[in-house]
Amino acid sequence: MAGLSFDNFQRNKFLVSKGFGQPMATSTGTTIVGCKFNGGVIIAADTRATAGSIVADKNCEKLHRLSPKIWCAGAGTAADTEMVTQLIASNLELHSLSQRRQPRVITALTLLKQHLFKYQGHLGAYLIVAGNDPTGAHLMSVQAHGSTDIGEYQSLGSGSLAAMAVLETGWKPNMTKEEAMKLCADAIESGIWNDLGSGSNVDLCVMEVGKDAELHRNYLTPNVRSEKLKSYKFDRGTTAVLRSSIHDVLDVEETVITFGNDAMEVDA
Amino acid sequence: MDVVLGIRLKDCTLIATSKSVTRGISVLKEDDDKTRILNEHNLIAFTGEAGDTVQFAEYIQANIQLYSMRENDIELSPKATASFVRNQLATSLRTRKPYQVNVLIGGFDTKTGKPTLNYIDYIGTQAILPYAAHGYAAFYCMSLLDKHYRPEMELNDGLKLLEMSIKELQTRMPMDFKGVIVKVIDKEGIRKIDV
Amino acid sequence: MSDPSSINGGSALAMVGKDCVAIACDLRLGSQSLGLANNFEKIFKINDKVMMGLTGLASDVTTLHELFRFKNNLYELREERKIEPSTFANLVSSTLYEKRFGPWFTGPLVAGLDKHNKPFICGFDSIGCIDYAKDFVVSGTASDQLYGMCEGLYQPNLEPEDLFETISQSLLNAVDRDTLSGWGAIVYIITKDKVIKKVLRTRQD
Repeated sequence: MAGLSFDNFQRNKFLVSKGFGQPMATSTGTTIVGCKFNGGVIIAADTRATAGSIVADKNCEKLHRLSPKIWCAGAGTAADTEMVTQLIASNLELHSLSQRRQPRVITALTLLKQHLFKYQGHLGAYLIVAGNDPTGAHLMSVQAHGSTDIGEYQSLGSGSLAAMAVLETGWKPNMTKEEAMKLCADAIESGIWNDLGSGSNVDLCVMEVGKDAELHRNYLTPNVRSEKLKSYKFDRGTTAVLRSSIHDVLDVEETVITFGNDAMEVDA
Repeated sequence: MDVVLGIRLKDCTLIATSKSVTRGISVLKEDDDKTRILNEHNLIAFTGEAGDTVQFAEYIQANIQLYSMRENDIELSPKATASFVRNQLATSLRTRKPYQVNVLIGGFDTKTGKPTLNYIDYIGTQAILPYAAHGYAAFYCMSLLDKHYRPEMELNDGLKLLEMSIKELQTRMPMDFKGVIVKVIDKEGIRKIDV
Repeated sequence: MSDPSSINGGSALAMVGKDCVAIACDLRLGSQSLGLANNFEKIFKINDKVMMGLTGLASDVTTLHELFRFKNNLYELREERKIEPSTFANLVSSTLYEKRFGPWFTGPLVAGLDKHNKPFICGFDSIGCIDYAKDFVVSGTASDQLYGMCEGLYQPNLEPEDLFETISQSLLNAVDRDTLSGWGAIVYIITKDKVIKKVLRTRQD
């Protein structure tokens, strides 16, 4: 029961041999970045999910929580980034419970890279892992095959080139939190405007040493849809109906009845 | 290019299957019966990869009969029979060498007193239909059946409709399929009809 | 054409209204260009306030419907309560991801009302990535057309009667531009005290 089941793999190989292809998975054709600053680390992401050239989700969440103070940004196959992140978050929690210590970023990264290496790149997860732990603030990244990087600033995803251009231009040592937030947001925005796979809004997460992580969901919303000037509401009865049936639902309402303080009467 | 055709009528189901067996350019047999009796009120008709077809149909036949032996002579209903067959095909599709068999199951539900026709293909697609056909024959027959079929048809009208369909196939199909064997499933059971 | 998800054809969508949700699908079952049935429903009831749509390979639609009915029955026996739509969505997601390297060829939708009667909808890709949406989700061979229709016609906070018109027109006009979808349509409107099923009159070509 446990783990992934491979039995449909053989069926699908048979279907492929009959000339049928594979379905298109949702991918986060994405821009994600991370940047350290004096006293912490920041990660940021855009919020567009794509299926081929179709925008599948205009405001998805690519910032995942691995532990309260360790977050990661995901690019690549959406389901893989989501599931791999949930799995590692669980294992990290169990690990920190058994060790009675706060989880460390390097532990999260090691769990991720060992899992991804095991799958030889077939899990399409590209992640920027960041956070703080008893050893300080850290910023790292891991690719689908299991290789990892450590750096002061990082970018990943289809918009990584556009974002890196901004990071390389604007980055300097010992930035303040505000400077780093601006730099990360600008880098994501450059992905939003210049990369087709990225779009919509900027999500941002600040992890300052000694403080709780702050998630700024929709930190920037440069693509708010303008309100429709007219309504496309149809007159009731526009659609021709052949048959109609109604199923009544019994709505259960719960009310709590509090008894008096007197002790319950018990037969002797 | 086997012909497998089924029509559900007012109180029976008709199943017609072609009599020819061909390999490449040769006709090997001209009195083949592409059906198997599953139980008193269920008949399976099949087409597909040579070898797979009979092997699969007889495996189903054996299991349906085994069920009746184990369960105190309870006969599996057409719906249950079709679900079982679909499940076998859908499971087989995930193995190293899946059965490439398409079937029609003609049945008569003794509980509801209604005839049924089930369409199931090798992928595991199942549909309960008023009339159905597999393979190229479907392209020729469906339009005819769409036009002339009525749900309340008696056996005689059904046979006329079937004759019309077979005639069309004999005119338009590129090869001689040596006529058809016709079987009826109704409340009395399964019987062959001479055409 | 060679994609298993588009052998049988079919489409579905779900929308959020004011204290209600709607989920709709077409009724076609085909084998490539040949139409087989015009009564193949792709929306299934999970409980009184949760429904799911399943489009794609018809075999997997049937198999998954049976699988989720089984899993939901086990849930109700163990928990002695009805499953919440968001919980069911996670069940769907993990069930699909279990087959990460040999997916079910299907694009599910979930629509329902939670225990506070708050609307919930979501969609999935074939390997279980959840698409949470506040407005609408689409799936099937006419999904491109459905995106366009919904983006144009949808507005928030529609009453059940108005939501019915909007979802019906979105579906009808989308499937008319898809050869593999159509041949009849049904719409379910889920409100806190009733579920209304409507069968629409559609083109038959």
